[in-house]
Amino acid sequence: MTAWARGVCAGVHAAGCRDVVYVPDNPLSHVLHHFETQYRDVRLLLATREEEAFGIAAGLYLGGRKPAVLLQSSGLGNSLNAITSLLVPYEIPVLMVVSMRGDEGEWNTAQMPMGRAVRDILNAIGVAHATVESSDAAADVVERAGIAAFETHVSHVCLLPKRLTGSPTPVGPKSDRGPTPVRPHSDSSFDSSSDSSSDSGSGSA
Amino acid sequence: MNRLQATRVVVAHAGEGAIIASLGYPAYDLFAAGDRPRNFYTWGSMGLASSLGLGLALARPDVRVFVLDGDGSLLMNLGSLATVGLLRPANLVLVVMDNEQYATTGGQQTPTALGANLDAVARAMRIDCTSTVRTEQDLAAALQPQQGPVVVVAKVGESAPTMKPPNDCVFLKQRFMRALTGE
Repeated sequence: MTAWARGVCAGVHAAGCRDVVYVPDNPLSHVLHHFETQYRDVRLLLATREEEAFGIAAGLYLGGRKPAVLLQSSGLGNSLNAITSLLVPYEIPVLMVVSMRGDEGEWNTAQMPMGRAVRDILNAIGVAHATVESSDAAADVVERAGIAAFETHVSHVCLLPKRLTGSPTPVGPKSDRGPTPVRPHSDSSFDSSSDSSSDSGSGSA
Repeated sequence: MNRLQATRVVVAHAGEGAIIASLGYPAYDLFAAGDRPRNFYTWGSMGLASSLGLGLALARPDVRVFVLDGDGSLLMNLGSLATVGLLRPANLVLVVMDNEQYATTGGQQTPTALGANLDAVARAMRIDCTSTVRTEQDLAAALQPQQGPVVVVAKVGESAPTMKPPNDCVFLKQRFMRALTGE
């Protein structure tokens, strides 16, 4: 079990969230797995797209719940209209846990532009953010972000950089098979080891 | 049946239920058909009315949740039907006001004008209780089943809205949440 994922779950739970809407991602699979096995009172809700996840989360909030949304940073791009024309103007708070792509340690060129832009985008649209720098700090940073979100009605983001999450092997119902490599035709130089860090998520499919 | 007439049928059947309206004309018609604290008007986030309704239905299984969506809006978030079919909240009623056009933006045709079938999509996504209606009587009947999720595609003509709900988003949210908690 990864310590940072344990801390994230503890922080989300301590902030009062019992509904977690998510679009899966490789590092986040550890958070989801820990919720599934250790937190029976947390409801995990799969969305088909990050924007949809924010719509569901907003509905949960209107019904009196404190929602968390788990997504990969690439999915932030899919969510901007939901955040800027629903969460922000209606002051609907959501605790977001965002697994970073395109930061230090990234191998996928396509992830870099959004990865570089994430913090500037969040600043520009008025969404507060904090970075989880260590496993030890995870629970505290996430809990504080959640409390601030639900007390002040401003959505908060907790960023999980790759230097924290590494490139873990995903866990989940199918993880014992590992990721299925897709090999290009007639390319003997194809390096299948890079598959171990190929995350799922909207930006890398 | 035009959209305003169809909206009046939904309001008449909503009782103590919540109604969430997609932005633009569906929201304007809901305000005209009968403003009430348990109405939630969206002013943006096109496509997310059904997702809002889904989240609310999950949070409040004791409240019947009606969503007034548009064909163009639902087409922007078709994955929502898959999630509704996955989670199957019994208290969710999704009414798609299908006028086969983007009426709010000038009446450009949507794919439903050429036969795209949202009722069939909903059924394909494991939502069992679906229908397509063209009259107020049939719409009223389609809203009856208490065991949802229910998807009703209401084929409607245009009704030129003459009024809009307040644009104070925080006020709309607070009024709606207070009405739901009885505070």
